[in-house]
Amino acid sequence: MKKPIAGGTNGTVAVALPRPHARPSRGLRFLESERLLAVVLLAPTVVLLGTFIAYPFVSGVWLSLSNTSVGNIGHFVGLHNFSKAWDDSIFQQAFRNTFFYTFWATIFKLALGMWLALLLNRSFRGKRLVRASMLLPFIIPTVLSTFAWRWMFDPTFSVLNWLLYRTGFIVNKIPFLSDGVYGMWCAIVVNTWRGMPFFAITLLAGLQTINPDLHEAASLDGANGWQRFWRVTWPLLKPVTLVVVVFSIIQTFSDFQLIYVLTGGGPANSTHLLATYAYQVGVATGLLGEGAAISLFMLPVLFIVVWVQLRYLRRLEA
Amino acid sequence: MVIERPWKRWVYFYIPLTVFVIGTLFPFYWMLITAIRPDAELYRSWRAVNNTPFWTLNPTLEHFKDLFAKTTFPHWLWNTFFIAVISTGISLFCGLLAGYALARLKFPMAGALGTSIFVTYLVPPTLLFIPLADIIRNFQLGNTPWALILTYPTFLIPFCTWLLMGYFKTIPKELEECARIDGATRFGAMLRIIFPIAVPGILSAGIFAFTLSWNEFIYALVFLSSPERKTVPVGVVSEMIRGDIYFWGQLMAGALLGSIPVALVYSFFVEYYVTGLTGSVKG
Amino acid sequence: MERRAFIKLTGIAGILAARRAPAFAQGTKLHIVRWVDFIPEADVELKRQAPEASRALGAEVTFEFINANDLQPRITAAIQSGSGADIIQMLWNWPHLYANALVDVSDVAEPIGKSQGGFYDIFSASAKVGGKWLSMPHGVGANAVAYRRSLFNEIGVKEFPKTWDEYRDVGKKLKAKGKPIGQALGHSFGDPPTFSYPFLWDFGGAEVDKTGKKVVLNSKGSVEAVKFLQAFWKDACDEGGLAWDDTNNNRAFHAGEISATLNGASIYIVAKRQKDKIKDDKGEPLWQDIEHAALMPKGPAGQFALYVPFQHSIMKYSPNQKLAKDFLKWLHADANYGKWFEVNEGYSVGSTKKWEDNPMWGKIDKPLQVFRQAARASLMLGHPGPASAKATEAYTKYIIVDMFAKGVQGMKAEDAVKWAESELKKIYEG
Repeated sequence: MKKPIAGGTNGTVAVALPRPHARPSRGLRFLESERLLAVVLLAPTVVLLGTFIAYPFVSGVWLSLSNTSVGNIGHFVGLHNFSKAWDDSIFQQAFRNTFFYTFWATIFKLALGMWLALLLNRSFRGKRLVRASMLLPFIIPTVLSTFAWRWMFDPTFSVLNWLLYRTGFIVNKIPFLSDGVYGMWCAIVVNTWRGMPFFAITLLAGLQTINPDLHEAASLDGANGWQRFWRVTWPLLKPVTLVVVVFSIIQTFSDFQLIYVLTGGGPANSTHLLATYAYQVGVATGLLGEGAAISLFMLPVLFIVVWVQLRYLRRLEA
Repeated sequence: MVIERPWKRWVYFYIPLTVFVIGTLFPFYWMLITAIRPDAELYRSWRAVNNTPFWTLNPTLEHFKDLFAKTTFPHWLWNTFFIAVISTGISLFCGLLAGYALARLKFPMAGALGTSIFVTYLVPPTLLFIPLADIIRNFQLGNTPWALILTYPTFLIPFCTWLLMGYFKTIPKELEECARIDGATRFGAMLRIIFPIAVPGILSAGIFAFTLSWNEFIYALVFLSSPERKTVPVGVVSEMIRGDIYFWGQLMAGALLGSIPVALVYSFFVEYYVTGLTGSVKG
Repeated sequence: MERRAFIKLTGIAGILAARRAPAFAQGTKLHIVRWVDFIPEADVELKRQAPEASRALGAEVTFEFINANDLQPRITAAIQSGSGADIIQMLWNWPHLYANALVDVSDVAEPIGKSQGGFYDIFSASAKVGGKWLSMPHGVGANAVAYRRSLFNEIGVKEFPKTWDEYRDVGKKLKAKGKPIGQALGHSFGDPPTFSYPFLWDFGGAEVDKTGKKVVLNSKGSVEAVKFLQAFWKDACDEGGLAWDDTNNNRAFHAGEISATLNGASIYIVAKRQKDKIKDDKGEPLWQDIEHAALMPKGPAGQFALYVPFQHSIMKYSPNQKLAKDFLKWLHADANYGKWFEVNEGYSVGSTKKWEDNPMWGKIDKPLQVFRQAARASLMLGHPGPASAKATEAYTKYIIVDMFAKGVQGMKAEDAVKWAESELKKIYEG
């Protein structure tokens, strides 16, 4: 009775084992081969993604290189759409906004998420309830929660203005969404509110793997809370943090729903992001080629981010 | 044990935690108040003397009732749930298999394939929906939940794969080796030994996928047309916003009711979620 | 009676009784997509008409109502994938944008137009492309300045101001009392453009010349318009308007926060229909205090208006084009269209001059009567040039709206105009 041990089809050793275990039938024997098994396991994914992403992606790239508009067949125009976008002042503003938005939102989410994770890491009464409720901003559909925020920032009816006014902090209404700068920060606040739970819970998971004895040892060595964090906690959390930060950057950089609902890109394009501008050009104006080109500007940036992260992870593993 | 003085506990723990809880949950409180506030109060000016933004003395369930009576909200809830469950199932299935293959098996192009699966994650849906509409039409899936069930995995599978891949890498290879010495096939070992250990990771990936699919807007807007087929985000936005009038009471009622099922799912699995992500990140 | 004869008789009688001429294959469906109407009762009326239409045409007619902002993604996806609804509502001059994907409906539009006294000019600009009707004009969402009679009386103003300078003085006084004028200047599809474009024209500014080929925005008129608005905004307007979309001014007006705003009839109609919920400071129903001024005040170059036209287009990919044309004819039959028209109470007016004489106008409240002939006044995007796809591009990019928004936010008027001019040049000449 030949039983393969490891390494697939190579190195089968004839071993006579006295155990009457299920013999791999001939049909299943091929599943031993790493290659064939890999093919079988990856097949569903490749088929689904191939059909529903690969073709649309290629089609999207073709769109960006053509002057297609809705209902009209386009012709190849090379990089014309890209250069037209690059020279466009609205695009430039959207480009800057996207970086600004992603940068600050990620930093806030990371800092606040980390802090919250450290707090939730302790044992206290009602821990489960608090942990579960902290996820609510993440659960509720973005479209709907952003509407609620929109009303909280409303120029006329803002409850936040009312509160600040009544408690004497302000005399005039704060122009939350009617001022360009404030508007961008409001968007960052909403994004942080929505995304921080994801950071917090994920980092919490990471924290739970850290052996409390390490903290004990450090504190015996005389380290205070802050030092304990930097010397013990942070190094062990780096891999988790990296994973979460990368996902968050990707989501935030290509964010669409939040801005679309909160400000529509206004006032005067001060909160436009690449995704919302691409949508405006592609769908509202019908210039699909140009819209696709604007969307694709996002791709290299995201790719670089991901690549850096993957290399870092590989170095960690090594 | 790290000993801590009581005042420190208050300053460094209780107060910050309370601030976080208030800051995170305040909007929900706001939504709840709006949903039970009668219309007359909703139209009141902010400077009115009797303006009570934080509570209402005349709570009413009329918005919730209207939501169920005048719109097809129950259909939307069911549709969204159905689509989310099945697309999560498909994504988990694909993600599990693909994650295992990429984590454990050696074969040519493993690296390239892994990277390309991940690259697909980078393509924005606001670009993809147009060519996708073409494909949906070719397969005649327009206005059916299957249009979404088959397109949602495009952004769910890469995440599930990556998450589970990392998770599998933390499981020691020895476990499989032992199983196979005991006579199991590689496939059998995968099924019977590895997957059960990975259950927390599977649960966490599943919860995340469920949330993303629940939340999705643009594909649902474009591929579904009948009111009974719509999902909660699309339906609430279409029906509660008529031109220049928002029906705030119903909007907020819809928003709250639309989050409850997911919140319930979470409350069951949050502990798993927390421990589940641990495995993936070590990879 | 012999059994066979009996059956035959009842059979024929049955067919006669049903009075159905099944001209289309069993199970044919006609799918129409429209916006969710600002007046909910109008949609209710259409839903009521659907089964009647189904019977008359021998096919199943279904309406789908979606948010106005979601019309375009649906149209885009439908055209690009070649399948979707048979008839889709088109706003503004979208027929120009989607020209290659729409069916020529001149054979439906011409007869109706002729028999009803002719279409308004706004439609020959927006629905007609290259001499062909690519859309069947359905109606116009006219606007007017809604204002609070009592608040104007309090500062001694009995008649609505005739010129912008007068309006500015009135606004100053009102703002001093805490009840400014409200105007949206955000990124929203209705109120900001219907204000910005006519305001620009009132001062002599324009995007392009008559040929539509040359960008003439950077002119004395445009700069003056921006300068005036900068002052007007500070003196008389609710400065939150930069963040307003189409709904904010309705809400602010109903809450008594602003004293005047440019809007469709929805402010009045909703205030009246919810009179027990919408009250003024004294607890009286607000609707009794609302007055309408048909047009915005006059500027140095005239008095202009811009309304939202909407029409129905048949999509080229539809397999039911003949059925769709028959449906449009049915929809515009006096009995059917009349009912829809009356339910609107002036929010949407008809597309032809005939509906100005409809008895409804005599019966509805006086403030709503200003809308009777309103549609005659409206120009179209791109004026004085043609309402081409380029004009639509300028509109969807909010170039004119943002020119004013930038000016109001503090940019020098000349710079704001220069910025808008460079953007327009890219569209028209790039």
